[in-house]
Amino acid sequence: MRTKAYASIFRMNWKLELQYRGAVLGGIICQLVFGLILVSLYRALYAGRPQVMPIETVSTYVWLQQAFFRMVLSSDSDLAGKIRTGDIAYDLVRPLSLYGYYYARILAQKSMGSLLRAVPMLVFALCLPRGWGIMAPVSPAAFACFLLGLMIGLCCVSALENITMGITMRTLDPKGIQAMLNLLMMILSGNVLPLTLYPDAWQKVITALPYAQLLDAPIRLYTGTRQVAEAPGALLLQAAWTVVLTGVGIALWKSNQRRLVIQGG
Amino acid sequence: MNYIEVENLCKSFTVRRKREKGHLFREKTTVQALDHVSFSVRQGELVGYIGPNGAGKSTTVKILSGILTPSSGSVHVGGRVPWTDRKAHAQHIGVVFGQRSQLWWDVPILDSYLLLRDIYRLEENAWKTRLDELTEKLKLGELLRTPLRQLSLGQRMRAELCGSLLHRPELLFLDEPTIGLDAVSKLSLRDFLREENRDHRTTILLTTHDMEDVAALCSRVMVLGHGKLLFDGGLTDLLSRYDRERVIEVSYERETVLSGLPNRCTVTQTGSRYRVVYDPENVSTAWLLEYLQGAGSIRELTAQGQNIDQLIAQMYREMDL
Amino acid sequence: MNTIKLYLHSMAILIKSQMQYPVSFLLQTIAQLIMEGGEFLAVLLIVDRFDILGRWMPGDLYFFFGMMSVSFYLTECFGRGVTGNFPMLVRTGQLDTMLLRPRGVLTQVLCSAIDPRRITCIAVGVLALILGSRMSMIQWTVWKVLAFAEALLMSMLLILGLFLIEAVFCIYSVKSVELVNALTYGGRSACQYPVDIYPRPLRAMFTMLAPFAMTLHVPAAWILGKPLYGWPTWTVFVCLLSGLVVFGVVYVLFGHALRHYRSTGS
Repeated sequence: MRTKAYASIFRMNWKLELQYRGAVLGGIICQLVFGLILVSLYRALYAGRPQVMPIETVSTYVWLQQAFFRMVLSSDSDLAGKIRTGDIAYDLVRPLSLYGYYYARILAQKSMGSLLRAVPMLVFALCLPRGWGIMAPVSPAAFACFLLGLMIGLCCVSALENITMGITMRTLDPKGIQAMLNLLMMILSGNVLPLTLYPDAWQKVITALPYAQLLDAPIRLYTGTRQVAEAPGALLLQAAWTVVLTGVGIALWKSNQRRLVIQGG
Repeated sequence: MNYIEVENLCKSFTVRRKREKGHLFREKTTVQALDHVSFSVRQGELVGYIGPNGAGKSTTVKILSGILTPSSGSVHVGGRVPWTDRKAHAQHIGVVFGQRSQLWWDVPILDSYLLLRDIYRLEENAWKTRLDELTEKLKLGELLRTPLRQLSLGQRMRAELCGSLLHRPELLFLDEPTIGLDAVSKLSLRDFLREENRDHRTTILLTTHDMEDVAALCSRVMVLGHGKLLFDGGLTDLLSRYDRERVIEVSYERETVLSGLPNRCTVTQTGSRYRVVYDPENVSTAWLLEYLQGAGSIRELTAQGQNIDQLIAQMYREMDL
Repeated sequence: MNTIKLYLHSMAILIKSQMQYPVSFLLQTIAQLIMEGGEFLAVLLIVDRFDILGRWMPGDLYFFFGMMSVSFYLTECFGRGVTGNFPMLVRTGQLDTMLLRPRGVLTQVLCSAIDPRRITCIAVGVLALILGSRMSMIQWTVWKVLAFAEALLMSMLLILGLFLIEAVFCIYSVKSVELVNALTYGGRSACQYPVDIYPRPLRAMFTMLAPFAMTLHVPAAWILGKPLYGWPTWTVFVCLLSGLVVFGVVYVLFGHALRHYRSTGS
C-alpha cells in the first residue's frame, strides 16, 4: 500500500524533472566546459610527470564525475525553502512518513536529473580522441558492476541529502550547515580532485567514507582501478553505508517530526 | 496646468506560450496591456484608479513612475518624461506598494530613513524637519528603533508611507495601501492621506480594490478594463449609473408562500424570510409593498440600496470585464 | 563622492543586519573556509603528486591560485549584489524599487548586498600569494606592485562584468545561470592555473571571451619573471585593460536591457 504511494511520488517527480529542458541544456554545456578544463589540466600535468595510472583512466574519471554532477549537487531547493519558512509542518497532513516522501522525491530528482544530463554528455565524451574523452568500460562485467554501484550510489546520496536536510531543520540555520555539508560532499566525493589523485595513504581513509560511495566507488569499477573480483566487497561497502545512512536519517526525521508536532510548527 | 498628461498610451507585451505537442517552437502572442489610454490630472488631485485584476492598472503606474517604457504614446509628469529622465523623475515621486516593502528588513526603521536621506541627497535639516513631522502624524516615534520585521502590518504600512514621503514628493502612487489592514489602521491611514494631500498639495493616485478607500478619499475615479479607460469622472456619477436595483428583505410571522411575483424580481428564501431584488423602473415599489403585505402578516421589513462592491461588480459585468 | 558615501552607508547597514544572526554568520564563514581551503588543498595535492606544470614551479602555481582567489572573492564580497542572486532581485520586485529611486541602478544593486563571509576565502588566497611569492622568490619592485594592484582591480571588473551578463539575460527573461556559470566559475577553475597549459580552444575562450589570461596571467607571469608567451613588458599594462573593456561592454548592454525591462507581478 505505502510502497505504491512512494512509487507514485517517485514517478511524478521523474516526470517533473523532464519539464526543465532549458536548464538541462545550460547545465550540460556548463559541465562540458568544466570537463574539458579538468581533462586539459590533468593532461598538462601528465605531460610533465607521467603516473602509474594512465591518463585515459583520469579523463574517464573526470567525465563520469561531470556527467553525474547533478547527483552530488543538492537538488531540492523547494524543501530547503519549506524548512526556512516553517511550511514543512503542513506536510504532516499527508498520511505518509515525511522521510519516505522526501526520499522518493530526492531520489527521483537526482536519478532523472543526472540521466538527462549524463547521456548526451557521455556521448560527447565518447566522440573525443583517446586520452581526452571517456574510454569504454574494461569489461562487460565491470560495466554491470558500475551500473549496480551507480544505483546504490543514488540511494546513498539521497539518504545523505535527507540527513543534511534533517540537520538543517534542527538547527534552523539552513544556509550555514547546508553549505558546509555540500562542500564536504564536493571535496570528498572526488568532484574537485579525483580521489584517485589523492596521496595513496589518504585514499585508504577517504574511500571508506560515505562520500566516496556515491560516484568514486562505481567509477573505480568502470575504469578497472578496482578489479571485478573486488566488486562484491566494494558494492557491499556501498550498501552498508546506504543502510546506515538511511537508518540515521529515519531516526533524525522521526525526532524532528516529534519536535514539529510539539512546537506546532 | 495639468500635472500628469497622458496621451494615447499603449503598452504591449509578447508572451511566450508553453510549447505545444507537435510544434517545434513556442508560439508568441502579443498582449495589449494598455490600449490608447489618455487622461490628465491636475496638481493636488486625489484620483482613484480602479479596475478588475489584469486590467492594466499596475502597468500604468509602472510607466508613470519610470519603471517601464511604453510601446507608444506620450507621458509627461510635471513636465518630465518618466522613463527618459528616470533619476530626475524619481526625485519627485513616491510609491507605496501594499504588498511589498521598500525598507530594509532587519534594521531599525530609522536606519532605513537615514539611508534614504543619502539616496535622495536630502539636506540634514530638511530631512530632520520632515521626519519629525511624519513621525508625529504617523505615530512612529516609539517605533523608530524597532527593526521592520518586528512591526505589525499596520505599523509597517505607516513606516513605508513615511519612507516614501521623506523627500517631499509632488506625486504619490499608492498601490493597494490598505490591503490586510484592520479597521482602525485603515481609517487613520485615510485621514493621514487626506491631510497630506491638503497640506502639501501632493497629487495622489490610488489603485485599489477597496471601494471604501475610493469613496472616502477620491473625488474622481478612473475605471480601466482590458487596457482601455472606460470611465473618468466623479464617483457619485459613476455609481448612479449602476445604482438601479433595490433590495427588500421581509420576514413573516408564519411560513408564507410568495407566488405570482413578476420574474423581473429576484427572490431568495430562507425559512420564512425573503429577499427581493428589483428595479423600481420596471416594478412599481408601491405595488410590490402592497403585494408583500397581502401575502401574510409581516414581522419585519427592511429596504436598502446595493452596497458599493455590488455596484462595482455589476459595472464590471455590464462593461463585460 | 556622494556615491561612495552612499555605498559605505549601505554596507554599514547590511553588516548590521547580518550581525542579527551571529551563529549563522559564523557557520557560513567557516563553510567558506572549508570550501576555499578545499580548493587550495587540491592545488597542494596536485603539486605533491606532479611537482611541475609545464614550465611552472609550485611557487608559481600558488601565486596564480592566490591572485585568482583574492580577486574572485573580493568581487564576491563587495559585488555580492551582482554575483549573488540577481534573478531574485527581479523576482521579488526589488529591481522595481531601485528603478523608483534617483540613483543609478547598478550603484543600487551593488549597495544591496555584501558578503563579509568571503573574508576567509580571501585569507586563503592571501596565504597562497605569500607562499607563492616566497617560494618563487619574487623580487618586488614598484612597477611590480603597481602591476599586481592593477591586475587585481581589472580582474575584479572582469569578474563583475561576467556576472553582469547573467543580469542582462535575466532582464530579458532568459534563464542562463548555468551558461554564465561556465564563464564565471569555469573561468575561476580554469584560470587558477596559467592559461598556456590549455589547448587552443580553451585558451581562446579565456583570452577573448572571458579574458582572465589578459587580466591575471599576463601580469602574474611577468611578476614571476616568466612573461607569458614571451611578450614584452609594456603589454602587461595594456592587456590588463581588457577587464575594463569587458565591464564597459556589458554595462552598456545592461543599460539597454533595463529599457526593455518588463516588470512582473502587480
